[in-house]
Amino acid sequence: MEEKRALPFVAPALIILCFVSLYPLVQGISRVLYSFRALTGKNVYSGLQNFVLLFRDSVFVHALLNSLVWTVTSVAAMFFVSFLLATMLNSRHLRFRRAFRTVTLIPWALPGVVVSLIWRYIFLSGGPLNTALSGLGVTYPPAWLIDPHVALWTCIVANIWMGIPFVTIMILAGLQSLEGDILEAAAIDGASYLQTQVRIVVPSIKKVILIILTLESIWTFNSFDIVFVLTKGGPANASMTLPLYAYTWAYGSQQAGYGAAIGIIMLLILLSVVVLYIREVLQ
Amino acid sequence: MRMHPVKQVLLHVAVLVMIAFLVFPVLLLVFNSLKTQTQIFASPMGIPHGVTWDNFRTVIAGGTFLVNLRNSVIVAFSTVILAVIVTAPAGYALSRFKFRGRTAFSMWLLATQAFPGIIMVLGLFTVLKVYGLINQLPGLVIMHTSFALPFSIWLLKGYFDKIPIDLEEAARIDGCTRLRALVSIILPLSVPGLLAVATFSLLLSWNEFFFALVIMRTNESWTLPVYLARFLGSGGVVQWGPLSAAALLVTIPVFILFLLGQRYLVSGLTGGAIK
Repeated sequence: MEEKRALPFVAPALIILCFVSLYPLVQGISRVLYSFRALTGKNVYSGLQNFVLLFRDSVFVHALLNSLVWTVTSVAAMFFVSFLLATMLNSRHLRFRRAFRTVTLIPWALPGVVVSLIWRYIFLSGGPLNTALSGLGVTYPPAWLIDPHVALWTCIVANIWMGIPFVTIMILAGLQSLEGDILEAAAIDGASYLQTQVRIVVPSIKKVILIILTLESIWTFNSFDIVFVLTKGGPANASMTLPLYAYTWAYGSQQAGYGAAIGIIMLLILLSVVVLYIREVLQ
Repeated sequence: MRMHPVKQVLLHVAVLVMIAFLVFPVLLLVFNSLKTQTQIFASPMGIPHGVTWDNFRTVIAGGTFLVNLRNSVIVAFSTVILAVIVTAPAGYALSRFKFRGRTAFSMWLLATQAFPGIIMVLGLFTVLKVYGLINQLPGLVIMHTSFALPFSIWLLKGYFDKIPIDLEEAARIDGCTRLRALVSIILPLSVPGLLAVATFSLLLSWNEFFFALVIMRTNESWTLPVYLARFLGSGGVVQWGPLSAAALLVTIPVFILFLLGQRYLVSGLTGGAIK
C-alpha cells in the first residue's frame, strides 16, 4: 500500500535522475572501450587499451599523486582553520557574533571562476602578495604561479580560502547543538582549550564532522575551476590534477575514451570514500 | 563565567585576523574594478583614488557580456524552479513513506555526489546530442537541475522530518488527500526549507563552470563564468580593471540574493546534518 502511494511523489525525481544521472553514468563509463583514430576521424572499439595506456602514463601517476595531495592538504587545512574559527565564533565572550558569522560566509557566494581570478591576481609576479613580501624585506619572493615546486600549493591556498565558510558554518551548527553545561563543566575542571576540543567537542559532533569531511573531500577531489584558471595544470603538468587531466584528453585531444579511463579511476577512489563513510555511519 | 580581559581581546583580534583573510581578497577585486591598469600595477593593494567607472562601461558595452548575462539568468532561474518542483514531493516521500528501495534511493543520492564531472559530461553529451540540446540553454538547465537534486532532496527530507506528522493526519481524517495535505499544509510550513533549496540551486547554477564550458560552444551561448574564463584567456596582457569589473558584475546579483537566503540555507544544511 505504502509503496503505491510513495511512487507518484518520487517519480519525477526518479525519472530525471535516471535520465541525467544513471544513464549518463553508464554511457560515460562505456566510452572507455573506444579510442579516437585521427586518421579516420572515428571512434573505434579498442577494448581495455585505454587502461593499459593509462597505467604506463607517467603524467597520469603524477596527476593522481597531485590530486591526493591537493585533496588531503586542502581538506585538512580547511578543517583545522574552520574548527578554530567556529569555536571562536561560538564563544559567548565574542561581541558582534551575528555580524562576524555573516561576513564569514562571503567567499561561499562567489563563483569558483571569480575566486580563481582574485587569487591569480594576488599571486601575480608583481602582484599584491609579492609587493607586500618585498616590503617585508624578502628579496626573491617565489613566482607563485610559474614555479613548478610552488604552483600546486598556490592553488591549494585558493581552494582552502573558498572552502572555509561552508566547513565553518557546519562545525558551528554542530557546536551549537552541544549542551552549554558540558563545556562549562570542562572549564571549571580546568581543562585547556585543546583538551576540551579533543576530548569532549570532537567526539560529540563526530557525525557532523564525518559528513563535512566526506563531502568536502569529494568536492575538492572533483574540483576543476581553480586549477584551470590559476595554472591550467602547468608549468609542464607540475600542478596537474585528475579532473583537469581528464578534461585535457577528452576535449583538448578528442580522446574521450582516455578521459573516461581517468574518470573511472576517479570514480573508484570516490566511491570508496562514500563506502567508508556509510560503513562508519552505520556502525 | 567571565573571561580574562586580555584573553577576550586576543579572541577578538584572532577573529578579526581570520575575517580579514576572508574579506580582503574580495576588497582587492572591488578596488581593481575602480582603477586603471596603470594604477593597478603602480599600487597593487592600494585604495583607488580618483574612481573610474570606465571598466564597467567597457564590460557592458563590449563583447558578449549582456547576452551571456541573459543566458545565466535564464539557466539559473529555470534550474531553481525545476529543482523546487521536483525535490519537494521526493523529499516528502523520503520523509513520510516507508517504501521498498527507500534506503537504496538515499544511498544513490549520496553516491551521485561522488560521480566525477568528466564521466557525467561525456555521458550527458550523448544524451543531449540525441535531443539536439548541445549548445542550448535547456540542455544546461537539465544538467544543473540534476546536480541540484540529490542535495536538495536530502535537505528537504531533513526539513519535513521536523514537521509533526499529526498536522497532516488531522487533515487527512477530515478527508484531505496526501497531495492536498502536502500542498496546503506541509509546503506553507516549509517555506524556509524551500528557500534553502532555492538559494542552494541558484548558487550552484549561477556559479557552475565545467559543464557550461564543455556544452556551450559559441560566444553567444556562454554563461557568465565561461565568459570570465574566456576574458582572462583571450591572449595578450590581462586587462585586470575590466576583468575585475566583469567579475564584480557577475558576483553582485547572486551575492545579494545569497545574503537574503543564507539564513535559510544555513539552517537547512545544518538541520539535515545534525540529526
